[in-house]
Amino acid sequence: MLRSFLLLCLVLLNYSVEAGPRYSDPDGCLSCHVYEGLSFIDEEGVLRSATIDAGHYASSLHGSVPCKDCHREVVDYPHKVENTEVDCSASCHVEEPSEGVKYSHDVIHEEMEKSVHGDGWYKGLTGGNRLEELEEEQDPSCRRCHSNTAYIAEAQLEKFKDAFDHAETECGNCHQGKAWMGQFGGHILRRFVGRRWNNIENNQLCIQCHGDVEAMREVEQEDVKTFKKHPPSERFVQSSESYTKTLHGRLIDANSEFGATCIDCHAPDGWKHEIRAYTDEKSASHPDNLSESCGQSNCHAYSKKPGNEGFTMTDMHSLSLLGLNSFEQPLTDANLWQSNWFRSMWPLMAVGIVFIVGSLVWWIFYRTDKKILAILGGSRFERVMIGRKPKKARVKPTARKPSAEKKVAPTPVVDAVAPKAINKEDLELEKASVEKKIEPASTVESTKVNKEASETEAEKTLKKPDEPEA
Amino acid sequence: MRVIQNLKAIPKVQKFRYGMILLASMSLLGPLAFLPQLVGSDDLCGQLCMRRFYLYFPGMTWGDFFVHVNAAAIGVMAFALILITTLFFGRIWCGYLCPVGGLAELSSRMLNDRWKIEFRSLPQVQIRYGYFGFYLIAMPALGISACSLCNFITIPRLIEAMSGEYRGMVYLVSSVGLVNLALLLLLGVFASKGRAYCQFLCPIGAADSIVNRIGARLPFAHRIRVAKERCTGCNICARDCMCGAIKMVDKIAVVDQMSCMSCHECVDVCDWNALAWTAPPKHKHNSPKRIKKNTEIFPLPDWQAIHITPVKEDVAAGRALPQISGVSIFNSMIFLTVISVIIVGSFL
Repeated sequence: MLRSFLLLCLVLLNYSVEAGPRYSDPDGCLSCHVYEGLSFIDEEGVLRSATIDAGHYASSLHGSVPCKDCHREVVDYPHKVENTEVDCSASCHVEEPSEGVKYSHDVIHEEMEKSVHGDGWYKGLTGGNRLEELEEEQDPSCRRCHSNTAYIAEAQLEKFKDAFDHAETECGNCHQGKAWMGQFGGHILRRFVGRRWNNIENNQLCIQCHGDVEAMREVEQEDVKTFKKHPPSERFVQSSESYTKTLHGRLIDANSEFGATCIDCHAPDGWKHEIRAYTDEKSASHPDNLSESCGQSNCHAYSKKPGNEGFTMTDMHSLSLLGLNSFEQPLTDANLWQSNWFRSMWPLMAVGIVFIVGSLVWWIFYRTDKKILAILGGSRFERVMIGRKPKKARVKPTARKPSAEKKVAPTPVVDAVAPKAINKEDLELEKASVEKKIEPASTVESTKVNKEASETEAEKTLKKPDEPEA
Repeated sequence: MRVIQNLKAIPKVQKFRYGMILLASMSLLGPLAFLPQLVGSDDLCGQLCMRRFYLYFPGMTWGDFFVHVNAAAIGVMAFALILITTLFFGRIWCGYLCPVGGLAELSSRMLNDRWKIEFRSLPQVQIRYGYFGFYLIAMPALGISACSLCNFITIPRLIEAMSGEYRGMVYLVSSVGLVNLALLLLLGVFASKGRAYCQFLCPIGAADSIVNRIGARLPFAHRIRVAKERCTGCNICARDCMCGAIKMVDKIAVVDQMSCMSCHECVDVCDWNALAWTAPPKHKHNSPKRIKKNTEIFPLPDWQAIHITPVKEDVAAGRALPQISGVSIFNSMIFLTVISVIIVGSFL
């Protein structure tokens, strides 16, 4: 008995949870739109469904919002198709509780209008923003980038749940009131949890279009001042290719957090929609603003300080980078012959021939020479580091040497000592002493002081006749 | 076979040194490169870079500096290790391990001396610190990449190119690579003893030699020291010194601790034991002088690391003081104007 009662309770409870739509339909739109097969043919002849699945709508983000909050122009029944378009840039249903200002996409709308992508189909933001988007148009619509993906990425979900569990206490301390937490808690927390995209996907968004070189060639660029259209520059066409060759692009390829994405440089501030041509003075990538834009990140924080203007001179979309296409590919023969490497081979070859011939000549004529000097700067080394006198000054005394000995000869004391010193060491000493002859007196004195202990008597006697000359 | 004879004639310590350089280059460069690969890099750039983090960008804060240090964390640690060993033992890294200077030196030693350019007699300390200052401050301010004249990138890339990796080839074919290759040939392979790059341009060497000089007077520091009373002035050490650190002053070898790499070659070559790689002696200058039968004996050598040439009253002795010539004034004026134009121009 009890058992069947409990079962009945469970069934009733279960029914009460599932029963009916969660939210009422104050405008009564669902009374028609809930029917399957409700459809119409639009101006372009496409059959479009107007059925709204009440369950889906109720469980969506906007489930608590009555239809007429957005579809404002629908006032009577039956309504016209044109009146159903929603202009989100006007003002929104959500009111920020702490400021009391109604949320609006108008900021983004204005930003987008100023940007280079401003001519795209974003007017009215949603509503007509579905089939009207044409693939041939060069400017993107909102939907090109903001496709219907999961609001919170799967990888972030755990992190988000964890943060959401603490939101009541941590945010709720100041932002009191259920309305605020209910309407904004999730929105803001998701931004705390982090971007939905990682850097690679972020760039992929831009590269989807800008990476298509052929399509980019057909783009018409607008001059910033004269508003004249002109065909795109090669630098623009290849911009995505050259970017991937820079360090920024390669770091992102390597899944590093340090690389700079397209947005990081081209729209660093605000809502990231204000992408302008680099020739525009208000653009973040304008040469005058580059130091500020590069300085926003931690990597180049000093670039905005005075004296560092040179830092921003590097061209991040330089066409010369395209030559570096093949980091991994083998260099083909054609590439090799055109390269600087082979051009520099000609002068190198000339030098090489001189080198080989010179080596042979030297080997044939000078192989018996024991003293080898460097080809350049050898004599300077002798003079500066070794302290030898320059050649001209050195030759003279050796030429004079016999005559000097002859002059000395009449004095009997020296004559008696000198011939006895025939062994090698003494001869060298003699040579050294003769060399010293032309040196200024001071060096002779100083060497004397240093070497008094090592000097022999014979040397001293040899030196005696020199002193009066000096 | 003269080659084998020549190889046998190499002093023992030098054989060890060449072996160490080869070992270091095998483990740090080229196809093996297993030390860099431990941190996931195959050359000496990025995390391993020891040459970039101390660059001064105008207006740089400590925060920016620490970002640089973080980016090259392992290089910074290696750099600190090098400086610490230098303080105690002299420039061991430069002389015994550095694969970049070492390979250039070895390849230069294989070449006949007559083909080489003698850079050792140039005023290397002035040139080195002039360039070091330019490298630290002016190059970042001008927006010149500090990597543009870096041998630490050229030699690994050269080895890569030779081992068949295309990245190395691509680097060497680029204009920066060609300039670096020319520098390597001029200041490395075709320089006498092959250490001209280390003498003039290497920023690690510049920082290292400051530490070498500062530590030279400390009581525990091993340096190449000269015993003045033993030196005979035969100048073999000065000819063989690969860094041009030994200069004959008044016919006595004097070691310039700003340039010395403690490579030990002068010690091997000296027949009179007038040079040694030691700590300073415990005894005082000339203190254990004994007088025996009216003869002064010096039982212990007085190992000096720093030699200060006394300023003499040369005019009295009739010796001409070094004069400032018109040519040197002209040269320095041109040099200063060029430098100041570059620096001022960068601020305008």
